[in-house]
Amino acid sequence: MQLPSAAGWNHKNEGKNMHKHIVRLLTLIAVIAVVALSAKTFFRADTFYQYGHYRGASVAQIAAKTPQHQGSASCQSCHKEVYAEWSSGMHQKAHKDGAVVGTVIKSGVNCEVCHNGPAGNHPSKEPMPLSIEDQVTTITHTRKEIHPANVTDRNLMRDPEDMRILCTTCHEKMAGRPLRGKVEGANVPVQAVTDVVGVAGVPQVVIEGHGGSELCTACHNPHSPRINFAAVPRPPVDPNTGKAIPASAEPAGDVAAGKATAVMCAACHVIGGPNPDPSWPSLGGQNAGYLVASLKAFKAGDRKSELMSPMAQTLSDTDVLNVAAYFSQASCNTSGGDKAKAELGKAKAAESGCAACHSSGGLRSPGKDGVSAARAWPNLAGQNAVYLTASLKFFKDGSRNHAVMSSVAKTLGDSDIDNLAAYYASASCK
Amino acid sequence: MTTQDTQVEKEAGDLSRRDFLGMLGKGAACAGALVGTGSALASAGAGGAHPLGGVGPTFQQDEAQYAEAVKNPPKIPNYNWTQHKWAFGVDADRCIGCLRCVEACKMENSVQMDRNHTRTWVERYAYLEGSNHALVDSIHDIKNVLPGSKETRFKFDNRYKDNQYNGQKVEKAFFVAKLCNQCEKPSCVQVCPTGATYKAVDGPVLIDTKYCIGCQYCVQACPYGARSLNHDRGTAEKCNWCYHRITKGLQPACVEVCPTGTRIFGDRMDPESPVSQFIRNNKVNVLQPAMGNYPNVFYKGIDKEVF
Repeated sequence: MQLPSAAGWNHKNEGKNMHKHIVRLLTLIAVIAVVALSAKTFFRADTFYQYGHYRGASVAQIAAKTPQHQGSASCQSCHKEVYAEWSSGMHQKAHKDGAVVGTVIKSGVNCEVCHNGPAGNHPSKEPMPLSIEDQVTTITHTRKEIHPANVTDRNLMRDPEDMRILCTTCHEKMAGRPLRGKVEGANVPVQAVTDVVGVAGVPQVVIEGHGGSELCTACHNPHSPRINFAAVPRPPVDPNTGKAIPASAEPAGDVAAGKATAVMCAACHVIGGPNPDPSWPSLGGQNAGYLVASLKAFKAGDRKSELMSPMAQTLSDTDVLNVAAYFSQASCNTSGGDKAKAELGKAKAAESGCAACHSSGGLRSPGKDGVSAARAWPNLAGQNAVYLTASLKFFKDGSRNHAVMSSVAKTLGDSDIDNLAAYYASASCK
Repeated sequence: MTTQDTQVEKEAGDLSRRDFLGMLGKGAACAGALVGTGSALASAGAGGAHPLGGVGPTFQQDEAQYAEAVKNPPKIPNYNWTQHKWAFGVDADRCIGCLRCVEACKMENSVQMDRNHTRTWVERYAYLEGSNHALVDSIHDIKNVLPGSKETRFKFDNRYKDNQYNGQKVEKAFFVAKLCNQCEKPSCVQVCPTGATYKAVDGPVLIDTKYCIGCQYCVQACPYGARSLNHDRGTAEKCNWCYHRITKGLQPACVEVCPTGTRIFGDRMDPESPVSQFIRNNKVNVLQPAMGNYPNVFYKGIDKEVF
C-alpha cells in the first residue's frame, strides 16, 4: 500500500527548514526574556515581594491617611455648653465606650452621628489635607452639609426640614427595627434591660400620629432629647454663635399698654370673676405664649371664631404681645365643676397622659395638675368646664386643629370629655 | 515510495514536531519564570496560610516573607502589625437601618457619594406571611435615597407601614449591615494580576491604588459583592476596616458612628476586646461559609437567606 507522495514531500521539506525556524523563535524568546527581566529590575518597586506579591511600602502609605471622624471628645474643648447638655442626656447615656454589658456592646449617639460630615481638621480654615488615595484623583465633595468651618455658610443642620428627616432616620417606626427593651434571642427580662444602657432598639414613633406638623425640636432638644417641659418650646438659636438665645432677649409685652388695649376684651373675658357666658374662656393667669399663639391663629385664620376673628384682626403684633402680657399676670379664677364627674375625670386624665403637657412637672414627676409648665401650652386648672368641653369636641371633630390635641381628642368619648372638663375646671389655678 | 520509507519519514516528522513543541514549551516556561508573575508560584506555596487566622504567614505569603514582616514591619508609628489580628462583628438584632455608617464611610474614605458606590451598605430583609423568600432592598434602590438630595443622603423608605405590604402582612423583617469580610483566603487577592491587593498580616485586605489598573477581576471574584470600581479614581474600591484609623488606635468610622452598637470591632489577640467578647458570648456565623473564603466578619441574628 502506498501513501500519497505529496505527504512525504511535505515532511521532507519541513524537516529541512525546521532548524532555522527554531533558532529564530528561540532568539525571539531570549530577546523577550531579556527585555522582560530588565524591565522587571528597573521598574519594580524596591519593596515589591518584601512581604508578599505586593508593594510593602503601600501598607504604611495606606495607614498614613488622616482620620476624618474625631469623636465627641474633640468637640468638647470648644463646645462646652452643648457638650454638657449632651453628656447629661439620653443620647449620651448610652455613649459608646467599648464596654460590654451582658452580651451586648454599649452604644451611643455621639456628635458625628448627626453632625456629619466628619469634623476633619475643623476648626482650621485650611482645606483638608488630601489623602494618599486622593492624590490619584482629587475628589471634590459638593455637599453643602459638610461640617463645619471648611465651608463659608456654616450649615449646622438648622434647616427645619432637615431636622425632621434627621430625627426620623432613627426614630421612625419601621418594620425590621428592633423595639426598645426587646433583645431578640437574649433571655433578659424587659424591666431589667430598660435600665441597662445600650440595649437593642430606639424609641420609635409613627410620624403621622406624633407631633403632626410640629418640628421635633419644638419639644425635644436633640442634644438631650427627653422632653424638658420647662424649656418648651425650645428657645431659638442664634445662627451665628450656635447658642440658644435667652428668654430675656425675646420681645416681652408691656403690661400697662396691654391693660389699655384689653379694655375691649374685658367685656367678655372678666378678670377675677365668671364670664357672662361660660362658653367663653377665662384668661386671667393664662400663659402669655399660649395667648400670643391663639391671637395670631385667630388673626391668620388658622383658628376660627365668629367673635374672636374680627377682634384679633384689629390688633397689631405689638398689641398681641401687650394684651397677652397683661392677661398672664392678672389673677386667675377657679370656676369649679361637678365633683362626681371630676373624680372620673381625674382617672381619665391619668390614663390619657394629659399630665405630660398640662402639669407643671410633666409625666414622670407630676406637679400641679392643670398648670402647664411650657409657655406655649394653656393652663387648664380652673378654666370654664363648658369651654373645655367645647374645645375638646372641636379638636375631636376637626374644626380646631393641633398636632397633639387632635389625635388625643379622637380617643375620648363624650362622657370622657365631660368628666375631664369637670376635673380641670375644679382644679385650683392658684 | 515503500511503506518502510513512509514510516521512517513519518517518525522523523513526528520527532521533529515533538521537539519543536517541547522546546516551545520550555522556552515559554523559562520566559514565564523570568518575567515572574509570581502570584502563580506564590499560590502554589500558599500552604502557610492559616485558614482560621492566628499568627503565621497570611494568604500567598511564604515563610521568608512572613519572617521579613516580623523583622521589618511597615513603618507605622506606634503600631506593629504582627501584634494584632482584627475582626468585625455585626449584631443584626440591633440594627435599625439608619444608614449613618454608610454616610460616615463615604466621607471618611472619599468614596463616591452616589448610591451605587459603597464600601459598606445595609440590606433590609422582609418576609411576607406564608412566603419562604425574603424581599430584599438596599440603598441601591432609589426609593431609599432622600428625594432631592442628589443621591448623597440615605434613609430607608418606610414601605412596610403598619407591617403591611400590598395587603399582605410582614411576618418578619430585619436589617443586615454588609461590608468586606477581609477573608483569610480572599478570592480577590488570588485573581489580582498586578499585586495591587493583598492580605495584610494583621487581617485587612488592602488595595494599593498606585498599582491597581482597574481591571475589575477582583470585583467579579468576590463572592460577597464587597468590591466595586471607583469611577473617579479608576481603581478598585473596598472596605479596609479604616486601616488608617485602626492603626492609630481608633475604631473604623462606621463603628464610631453606629448609634446602636450593631457594629463591633476589635482585636482577636486581645481576649477582652469588644469583638472577642462578642464572638465568645454569642452564637455567631459567617456569610457563605461553603465558599471557603473564611470570612472575618461575624454575624449574629441573621436568617438563612442572607448571604
